Amino acid sequence: MDEYPAGSLDHNLPLLVVSGLTSGPTKPLLTDPDLKEQSILIRSELPPLDSREAKTILRCIQEADATALPWNPQDGDKKHRFKIKTIGRDFLLPPRRARLPEDFEAPLSPPVLHSPFSPLSPGSTLYPDGLIDTRWLSKHQELIPSICLCFYSLTSDPTLATLHDNQLKTDINALKNAISRSGYKCRLVAVIMSDQAPDSMGAFQERLENIRWGTGLDPKTSLFVLPTRRSETELETAVDSILSAVFVQASEYYRELGRRSRKKKGRGIAPQPTIPPTSGTSHTLSLQGWNVRYDFKAGVFAEFRQEMDVALRSYEQAYESLFGQDVLETVPSWSPRFNHGRLVADTLAIRILRCLLWTGQSTAAVRRWQAHRARTSDFLDRRGRGTQNYGWQAWEARWAQTMANLIEKVEYPELAPTSQSLFRPPEKALSAERLQPWELLHHPGYWYRTAAQHALDRRKLAHLIPEDSRRAPDVSEVSKSAAKAYNSFDTYMCPEPYEEYPLDGEGTNHGRQILTYLNSARTEFHKRQQVRLAADVALDAAKELELLKQWKQLLELLTPLWRDMYFRKEGWLDATESLSWILRRAAVEADQADLVVALDWELLNSRYSQQPNWHYDLTKSLDNVKVDQRPEITIRDENITSFLTSSFVFKHDEGRAGQTCPAQLVIKSNAFPKSPPVVLKSIQVGFEGSVRTLHLKHVPNSGQEAGSRKILVTSVGLKEVESEAQDSDAESESGNRSTPSVILQGEDDLTLYPGQTRVFQVDVPLREAGEAQASEVTVIVAPETFQLAYSMKLREDNAIGLWYTTTGRVKVTKINAQNIKVLPRPPKMEVKFINVLKQYYAGEPIHIVVDIANEEDIDAQTKLDVHLYGQDVPAFKAQVEDGDSQASTGEGEEAKLNGLDAGTIGTSKSTKATVIIDPINRPTAYDLTIKAWYNLVSDPATPIVQIVAFQINIVNPFEASYDLVPRLHREPWPSIFDPEGIQAVTEEGEHEVPSQPMGLAQKWCLVTKFGSFATEDIRVLDLDVKVLETQGAARCTVSKNQTLPADGLTMAPRTMEEARFDLVAQKLSLDDRAPSTADLAFTIKWQRASGDRPATATPNSTTFLLDPFYVTVTEPRVLASVSYSRTSSPSSSKIPSTVSSSSSAGAGAGPPLILLDITIENPSNHFLTFGLAMEPSEGGFAFSGAKATTLNVLPVARRTVTYRLLPLVSGGAWIRPQLVVRDKYFQKVLKIIPTEGMRKEGDGFAIWVPDNVDEDEKAVGGERTREGEGDVKVESS
Amino acid sequence: MATSIPSIACLGVIGRHNNPLHTTILPTTTDPKTGAPAPLRTPLQFSLLLSSTLDVFASRARHASASGTLLSGDFGLLHAVDDRLAAYGWETNTGVKFVVVVDMRGRTLDRTGGSTASSSKSAAAAAAAAASATGVGLREGELKVVFRAMQTAYVRLLQNPFYDPDEAAAGAAGAAALGKRITSRKFAEEMRRIGEVWVPGSVNAL
Repeated sequence: MDEYPAGSLDHNLPLLVVSGLTSGPTKPLLTDPDLKEQSILIRSELPPLDSREAKTILRCIQEADATALPWNPQDGDKKHRFKIKTIGRDFLLPPRRARLPEDFEAPLSPPVLHSPFSPLSPGSTLYPDGLIDTRWLSKHQELIPSICLCFYSLTSDPTLATLHDNQLKTDINALKNAISRSGYKCRLVAVIMSDQAPDSMGAFQERLENIRWGTGLDPKTSLFVLPTRRSETELETAVDSILSAVFVQASEYYRELGRRSRKKKGRGIAPQPTIPPTSGTSHTLSLQGWNVRYDFKAGVFAEFRQEMDVALRSYEQAYESLFGQDVLETVPSWSPRFNHGRLVADTLAIRILRCLLWTGQSTAAVRRWQAHRARTSDFLDRRGRGTQNYGWQAWEARWAQTMANLIEKVEYPELAPTSQSLFRPPEKALSAERLQPWELLHHPGYWYRTAAQHALDRRKLAHLIPEDSRRAPDVSEVSKSAAKAYNSFDTYMCPEPYEEYPLDGEGTNHGRQILTYLNSARTEFHKRQQVRLAADVALDAAKELELLKQWKQLLELLTPLWRDMYFRKEGWLDATESLSWILRRAAVEADQADLVVALDWELLNSRYSQQPNWHYDLTKSLDNVKVDQRPEITIRDENITSFLTSSFVFKHDEGRAGQTCPAQLVIKSNAFPKSPPVVLKSIQVGFEGSVRTLHLKHVPNSGQEAGSRKILVTSVGLKEVESEAQDSDAESESGNRSTPSVILQGEDDLTLYPGQTRVFQVDVPLREAGEAQASEVTVIVAPETFQLAYSMKLREDNAIGLWYTTTGRVKVTKINAQNIKVLPRPPKMEVKFINVLKQYYAGEPIHIVVDIANEEDIDAQTKLDVHLYGQDVPAFKAQVEDGDSQASTGEGEEAKLNGLDAGTIGTSKSTKATVIIDPINRPTAYDLTIKAWYNLVSDPATPIVQIVAFQINIVNPFEASYDLVPRLHREPWPSIFDPEGIQAVTEEGEHEVPSQPMGLAQKWCLVTKFGSFATEDIRVLDLDVKVLETQGAARCTVSKNQTLPADGLTMAPRTMEEARFDLVAQKLSLDDRAPSTADLAFTIKWQRASGDRPATATPNSTTFLLDPFYVTVTEPRVLASVSYSRTSSPSSSKIPSTVSSSSSAGAGAGPPLILLDITIENPSNHFLTFGLAMEPSEGGFAFSGAKATTLNVLPVARRTVTYRLLPLVSGGAWIRPQLVVRDKYFQKVLKIIPTEGMRKEGDGFAIWVPDNVDEDEKAVGGERTREGEGDVKVESS
Repeated sequence: MATSIPSIACLGVIGRHNNPLHTTILPTTTDPKTGAPAPLRTPLQFSLLLSSTLDVFASRARHASASGTLLSGDFGLLHAVDDRLAAYGWETNTGVKFVVVVDMRGRTLDRTGGSTASSSKSAAAAAAAAASATGVGLREGELKVVFRAMQTAYVRLLQNPFYDPDEAAAGAAGAAALGKRITSRKFAEEMRRIGEVWVPGSVNAL
């Protein structure tokens, strides 16, 4: 926009001249010497004010200058926009009328003189057919003020008041007259400053009135009083309000001028020039031309008034007329007026654009922008020299740049860099239309870029200028070529072809121009974080710089971009490549050796396109580069990609310290197929964790034909060497050099052919436990001219590791194969349980023997930890053979014995430890863990642990069930008629009671059935029932009824056995007849039958606790007991059974005689009467005895009734006597309780009729029978 | 008089890590020397153009996350690089971006000779109708059909068990792994077809 004449495009602001506020020198308004000569002087005679307040006010006014404001209607509270000029006390106005030329002959009639800026005046540059030019614009903008703001002071000295006031009046009147005499309509506004405060101004009212009357100034619009004794802000407000009021005046002034233009246009005739043109074509401005002029003026005046929509209309009219039939169309292209017309058109178009942008119509503005271009291009194609020339491209570039400048000036908030939006949404009226995307106003960066594009095109076209035209006209045949050039080249606002692109010497610096545009664009894009687009522009700029050979600048521009460019990071290869090659050329020129090498390294990758005729040989990289010393370059894969990729794979997930793990280092080359092989000097693999740095050195292998192979797997032996020995290796890191550390070193031929995958298989020794991972692979290339170290990070990207085999096959191993977990040294101490039994039983102590065998090569100092976990851990102890022993009481859920010293176990020796767990009474399970801690004698610091665990399941070996059945106690009951028997209680007292129980005794039989639940044979050694406690003052004794075999009873698994115990309970006192109970415990003493253990070992005992039983009862009961006799005669009943049995032995055959005793016990205090009724049996038996009888039983006594039964059935059967015992008083039938040799059947009982009495007596137990016999005898007698 | 209507100049598929996956360049102008259809720009220029749209994607995403508004897939107009070429964008929720570069004067409709670059008569007729009705602009959302078609094609590509999108998107792992592009011929053909068939005002699925 700067290329257009100054002032032609400025936004017009009312010119305000401030007079009388400064005494210092000021810039004169009118500088043109021609005009100055005829100028009109406007001068005030009063001296300028020079007070402090005056300076403040002047500053306020100058700050209100609106020239630098953005071109938009700021909706601020400022009501005025002025261009402010400060003058002393006088200024010059340009002449209203132009003078006649000096050589002019006086015409017949007096000539009509016009303004010197009009095409009518012969002295004007526009004479005779120009349209309008900047001088007219600047006349209004710079020379003729709309308002002349004169400052005066009002003296407060009453003695001088009248004199002063009169002077003031005179001066104002003189000024007024001078202005009106000049013919200009500019307004005079007087401001009278007083040094008083605003509220004390009343005193001066009369004087001010006087001045007002004397000058005829309106106090509302043109005479202001400004009391200055107030604060600065108040003063500012006051000045502001004066300016606002004055602005109305200014608008009025320009409105008047605008009206005049319209009026002239309305006349509809073209005015005649002062003198008709005599030279040239004698063509004068047509009426249409005049209309353009008038509309343009009207537009400008509207703009002065800040009425942009009005201005827009006028400009559009002017524009249409200009391109209409009679204005530009009639101008021949060779005429200077042609380009002048174009300038007017451009000016109009730009002013139109500004109006549109001002009013927020950005999309309309873009359309207008395009329309003007199309119109101009069409016009040039028809009337001018076409658009296929550099001039048109120059204009296009300028046109795009103009738009960018306009957008910058307008400062749309939507397009501010902070707003993040790149273009402005269309105005509401257009948003529904189908819009071109470009019509959404983009930020200036895009426009600058377009300008750059056109500038490029301009250069292209400039380079096509034929040589003839490029010769300066004075050199060649002047007229001919000049004319030709003039005809064929558009030189509107751009140089002639011989200046644009001269044959010799500097022409237009296109490159500079393009760069300027590109840099502006790049700045805009950067501001909006469009980094990629900025890089794109930078690339274009770099190409220009390359042409200009500005290598340094180029490097400055591209190097930072290249270092971390998005294109590479995101894989835009073509962009990367393009940038890299430009940079490389620059780097070679600027002797940036490191950059050249890094670039070559990157460009060797075959994913870029191959440049023809490029050697792609790293060793030749620095061939044309001057270097002072051999450069050492270090690059990383984060910045620069490379044709090399690497991976490191451990074959196993885990390894153990002290062992080695096979691993593969894979280096893959992706270089261009025809490029020479790259010889690496060395490869380093850095590890994190305990693995040592791996170092491979290049050793040329003469007989290598390996280049042909795509995948080459070589096995490399590794040595552990101290890295200090590696002095020759310059690349070893400084850290390594200072502290001696061990590295793994190997040697191989490290030549890498293009496209080849080199696999180096190594056995990495693992030394320390912990996680380790290969973290970085560094390859070093060191030809003669430079050294390059390239590091590649091995990232945890969950990539799958590949394992190469020598056959060329690839196996997939695992993800993140560069990681390995190094486990501690494996323990070689063997700990095992020996002689472990299948099953452990409750009640037996558990012996567990552990064998600890040292299989290490060195003696080991060993300690044991024994842990037992489970519910209610029992006490246990542990003992080492010939050594330490410890015991634990065992409580809670866990018991430990720590640090049981097992001494030093020699290599391939072993020792034993025994853990003995106390017997446990219930089935449960325990975990026994034995940890053997040991350290080798050679390495006492490293503890090694071996752990074994064993679960002990404990089950009950037996289950048992019990039954308590009543028996008849044979002892006689104490008789209440025998005082001795019952006196003892009273005599002896309580303390003697337990020793001699005197109460009733009752007898029971405890039947226990127990089964073996063990999984093996068990030998039962003893059975026992113990009375743990009795309740209810009774004594209870148990006697064993059976004996077991001397060597015990062997029970097979899952078998049942029965045992009977007699139980006699006697109440302590006869008086106490409450029932009593007894708690019993049944104990089995047993051993495992499988006799590993010596028989002398203490037998295990398993105890069952029984539920309490009632052992004495108070209710009367009826007990039936039976005995047998061979004698059938009733008389023989009194013969003791021993006799009868002995005699019966001889008798042999015949059914036995059965004696049935019915004993009724009455332990109560009542006299009871019972009725007995025996039913005769039909064919079962015959009986003798009372069929029905009544039995009286005394309190605490018993009686027995005996029946003799003769079974009628053959032996080996049951008979069922139907006997009813009834309590006479309660009329209650008593149950008859069977005892030995009988069984219960329903309500009654059954009696066994044996075949042979002997057998049966044996079965029942002869001893008891004999006793019973005696008892019966007593009772019955 | 010949009317110019927009046509697609370039279709780009850009991966999650801003890596180019696919580019189809369509001729929208004629070679001044031979008169044969030719692309408006060089492949490198189109590549740079596609890359420059990533700035806009990033900026919009930043803006969206700052203001808390969720972005729908359609980014609409990303930017117009000059008065002919404009880039429109679409982002899938897996971060794959589709970019359509439209040449606003890509097709010339001659009243006499029909279209030069358009593929079918009906398309040309529809375009002519669209052009005569409202001029030769583009409405917001007029490219939705293109994006939908591209997405369909991309989804079809993903359904191919031999296509490994992770391999193509392994960008974060390291720059070395980048540069893997979509090699499916079918996909490329589909892209070209979409680019050729589309005319402004297309409403039916491509």
